[in-house]
Amino acid sequence: MPTYVIEHDTLYSYSSPVAVSRQLLHMSPRATPWQNVRDHRISIEPRNHERHERDDFYGNRIVDVAIASPHRHLRVCARSVLEVLPRCDSLANLASPAWEEVRAGVAAYRSQAALDAWAFACESPYVPCHLPALAEFADASFTPGRPLLEAVGHLNTRIYDEFTFDAQATSIATPMEEVLRERRGVCQDFAHLMAGCLRAKGLPARYVSGYLLTTPPPGRPRLIGADASHAWVSVYCPQENGAVWVDFDPTNNCIPDTEHMVLGWGRDFYDVTPMRGVILGGGEQTLTVHVTVVPEHEAETLFRQRSEKKAASAETPDTVARPRQ
Amino acid sequence: MLNPPEGLPKDTPRYDEMMSDGAPRPHWAPLWDEISGLGADTLADKLRYIERQIREDGVTFNMYADPQGTGHPWELDALPLILPPEEWETIESGIIQRADLLNRILADAYGEQWITRERLVPPSLIHGHAGYLRPAHGMRPPGGVFLHMYSADLVRAPDGRWCVVADRTQSPSGAGYALENRVIVSRAFPELFKELQIEHLAMFFGALRDSLAHFAPKSDEQPLTVLLTPGPYNETYFEHTYLARYLGFPLVEGHDLTVRDGCVWLKTLSGLQRVHAIMRRQDDEFCDPLELRSDSALGVAGLTDCARRGNVLIANALGSNIMESGAWFSFLPKICQQLLGESLKLPSVRSWWCGDPGVLDEVEANIDNVVFKPAFPQRRFDPIFGRQLDAEARAKLVARIRERPADYVAQEAIALSHAPVLSRHHPKRMQSRVIGLRVFACATPNGYLVMPGGLTRAAGQGNERIISMQRGGQAKDTWVVTRGQVNTFSMLRRRVQVQDLVRSGANLSSRVVENLFWFGRYMERSENCARLLRLALARLVDDDPSASPVEWPAILAVCRAAGIKLDGAHPSDPKLQAALMRAIYDDHAESGLASSLQSLFNVAFSLRERLSVDNWRTINRLLQELAHVRKQNPPFARAIASLDAAVVAVMTLSGFTLDGMTRDQGWRFLSLGRRIERLQFLCIALDEATEHGHEDGLEWLLELADSIVTYRSRYVSRPEWLPVLDLLVMDESNPRSLAFQIYGVSDYIQRLARYLPGADSDMLRPLVDRLDALDPAQNLAPEDTQLQMLLTEGRRTALELSDFLGLRYFSHVDTPTLQLGT
Repeated sequence: MPTYVIEHDTLYSYSSPVAVSRQLLHMSPRATPWQNVRDHRISIEPRNHERHERDDFYGNRIVDVAIASPHRHLRVCARSVLEVLPRCDSLANLASPAWEEVRAGVAAYRSQAALDAWAFACESPYVPCHLPALAEFADASFTPGRPLLEAVGHLNTRIYDEFTFDAQATSIATPMEEVLRERRGVCQDFAHLMAGCLRAKGLPARYVSGYLLTTPPPGRPRLIGADASHAWVSVYCPQENGAVWVDFDPTNNCIPDTEHMVLGWGRDFYDVTPMRGVILGGGEQTLTVHVTVVPEHEAETLFRQRSEKKAASAETPDTVARPRQ
Repeated sequence: MLNPPEGLPKDTPRYDEMMSDGAPRPHWAPLWDEISGLGADTLADKLRYIERQIREDGVTFNMYADPQGTGHPWELDALPLILPPEEWETIESGIIQRADLLNRILADAYGEQWITRERLVPPSLIHGHAGYLRPAHGMRPPGGVFLHMYSADLVRAPDGRWCVVADRTQSPSGAGYALENRVIVSRAFPELFKELQIEHLAMFFGALRDSLAHFAPKSDEQPLTVLLTPGPYNETYFEHTYLARYLGFPLVEGHDLTVRDGCVWLKTLSGLQRVHAIMRRQDDEFCDPLELRSDSALGVAGLTDCARRGNVLIANALGSNIMESGAWFSFLPKICQQLLGESLKLPSVRSWWCGDPGVLDEVEANIDNVVFKPAFPQRRFDPIFGRQLDAEARAKLVARIRERPADYVAQEAIALSHAPVLSRHHPKRMQSRVIGLRVFACATPNGYLVMPGGLTRAAGQGNERIISMQRGGQAKDTWVVTRGQVNTFSMLRRRVQVQDLVRSGANLSSRVVENLFWFGRYMERSENCARLLRLALARLVDDDPSASPVEWPAILAVCRAAGIKLDGAHPSDPKLQAALMRAIYDDHAESGLASSLQSLFNVAFSLRERLSVDNWRTINRLLQELAHVRKQNPPFARAIASLDAAVVAVMTLSGFTLDGMTRDQGWRFLSLGRRIERLQFLCIALDEATEHGHEDGLEWLLELADSIVTYRSRYVSRPEWLPVLDLLVMDESNPRSLAFQIYGVSDYIQRLARYLPGADSDMLRPLVDRLDALDPAQNLAPEDTQLQMLLTEGRRTALELSDFLGLRYFSHVDTPTLQLGT
């Protein structure tokens, strides 16, 4: 079974001291039927801080950090070891009802599963699913009587085909109309877009926050910090007894399997922002994020190299503000 | 004699509040007789009395569209709406039940969501509402009370029955205005008020105050309740200040509060003070930038978690906005039956949530008789009356609704009842206006209590559908006739007790104190700046432009040292002249007059609750005048006139404020700010004058320090260094001297140190010593090193002291920054 070590390292540096800081972290991976969290810890500097944990509305773990002493750096390093089971094979043969049937079932909310799915059926801060353009874009995939998963898969592929991945084109503040018009963006934009299309069709959809295993270019070694946070969607799919949520990754045109690792889910990025905070003071700030996803058997070598290298020279920081994949 | 009121078309049947079959209803008869018996002049006097009261009490209502945010006078009609006891009892019991019901629904929506499982309400009413706060899910507020203050907008149908057209559950406004209306109108008709046996309102506010203290989390101290306001720009800010004063709650803005150790604290002059309950007038999502809204730094970061841990009571509970949607109306009767086991006593206006399958056809068939409103706050639009639309507009609307039916609520458009108002111009001719009644309830340990009265609002002339204070409406007092003895409990009496006075001093928030301090500084800075620029400009017009007066280099040096950016050196240099004009008129020119005045205005505006309106009006007028003159490209002589006006205005202002304020800690900080600014400026001016100045032209320095009159009264000679320096440095009797500032500041610091922990009473000792050591016989010469060291030390002390005060007393007034990381 594939096992990964994930390191998510965030560093804020401030030009003047921060007097008070309060941070909410959504950085603890969820346990799911196909994902086992073998180890997880979050280290925080300055060490002098208060820390509380709780589950949010969606069942994701929140680490709530309060720092009340002046500091110029804030470092949050989450390290997890995850075992991921294959799930694609079972999905390949999954029969799904016609999408209109699913929509009608949600509207009628006769089952507890359908009722619960309502939490993901409405518009949310980053998913303005009332925009007519979203339903229009979705129309081509949702032809009458088409089985749900076939239609969603079609939509997934169309977003992959028709949109260009461009890390420079958008920011978290870019409105969805613009993403639709320019046909560019990053994983976050595509996940929001796809969730919007699905909800516009009356189908509940989650925004999933997580990581993706990347393969270094041929002949090049795996590097620390070369990865990034990732995001995709999950669609509600009712079954004979209960319901399942099926993941789709429009950025990579695939159904997530053993190379996708889940942190948590919500309606959109707003609900599961890996790190969100309010500070007093601080002046100018710089943010550096390093994400490393590595198969467990390579991890030891990789991180040992780092400690050796660190002893020799400082790393070149890589400034990243948002998911890149 | 009196005629029945007129002014409404007769074609629509409506309920007449006062008249029935051509005669006043029994409970209106005493009022009718009173008005009949009064002469037009006496009535006009009463109307004038009311207007004057409103002006003097400063009752205002800010319009959203008003860019100045200066507030419009509250429009209050002289005649109350009168309700007989039996009718009121029906309303009262209906409101109690409804408040209880909405409270239970909130508890369920933020808990089990049993009502959706039982199919009593569709899940989209909860999940589709932008105000449904997921972080508030699972919270159990103290005593299970979500709704502490509830209010409902009622209208009366033609058949005489009252019904609810809107529920206010987030932070209902209007109770304070109702109270103010009562104070004024009952004084205009004192005998009538007594004769009719009208229920008093004070009991209600007393119960509200005590209940908040009761439900607040317990700790060793006396529970502290604060009133949280979004600030002076809010449309009902007047009410916030009024209620805060009346209830004895400190009025605070978000940054007056801070979160430490899971508790909420008020930053006061004497340190942090635990807050146990917050009566909020801030909308849900603006209460906590950390958990509730990521694009706004307003509010108190971490507040939600304090409530989650049960360490603070927030009234109303975060997330209570969801009950304000009219979409709930059609579901309430069934929910009431299921949750309370009784039928809904006070009906809502007949409503259809268009997202309900099948109702669209019915709504479309009735489009003439309905008004459309948004079902969710994220889809805001003005009410649309079906009757007012032509065929094309109707078809468009229907198509829009069919596209997203869940976004719309249709309500039956009721022909509103009407009541009489008095016109200022013809006091004996009553006019009819349609009315609506807002009533209020508060949670108490014994259940909900309804305010016996309310805020009645009458529509503007010619408006029969929408009652709005923003569209020329008027408020009315609401009189509920009692059956038995009137309860004469009074909150006003409580205000004069000693302990309240002591408490209000201790709770002076850091923000208010900091603003007062800067008010003092900017006031002084503006005056200094105006005098300095006037000196410079006068040199440009007086003399032969090719010559440069002997004092010119010194004046220029002071300007630059004071931070005014000036290119060039010679008075005839056009670049220099342009820079001087910019310093006067351009509020973007650094350290100039316009920018100082702008800062002064901003600070004064946020001190509206402490300063009279005249204060900031003075500054505002001056700023507008400067902006106006600037456009005309004024000659120097005109600019000098502007500066004269500025000096006079600012001096008048400082006279007003220093004279008209109570001598509390706040006043002390204001004076301190003024003294520190003057100390700093004097040191700069003397420093540059002694370096660049020439004994032949020292009038300018005396003029700058506003001491020329004193000098001339004492010495016949032209200004010379020794007497000038004596007057400006050592003479303690001259309020413009260094000595006066240094001793004064030192005195303030010693007084503050007595009350405030952490202040060092000896902070000014080195400077005082240095001043005392000056010997007029030796040191009062421009090149003297002792004098130079005093000036340097004075400047440094002014800076250090300002920083110290900032860190010690105001430090927390920093603006929070939001961070989003991936």
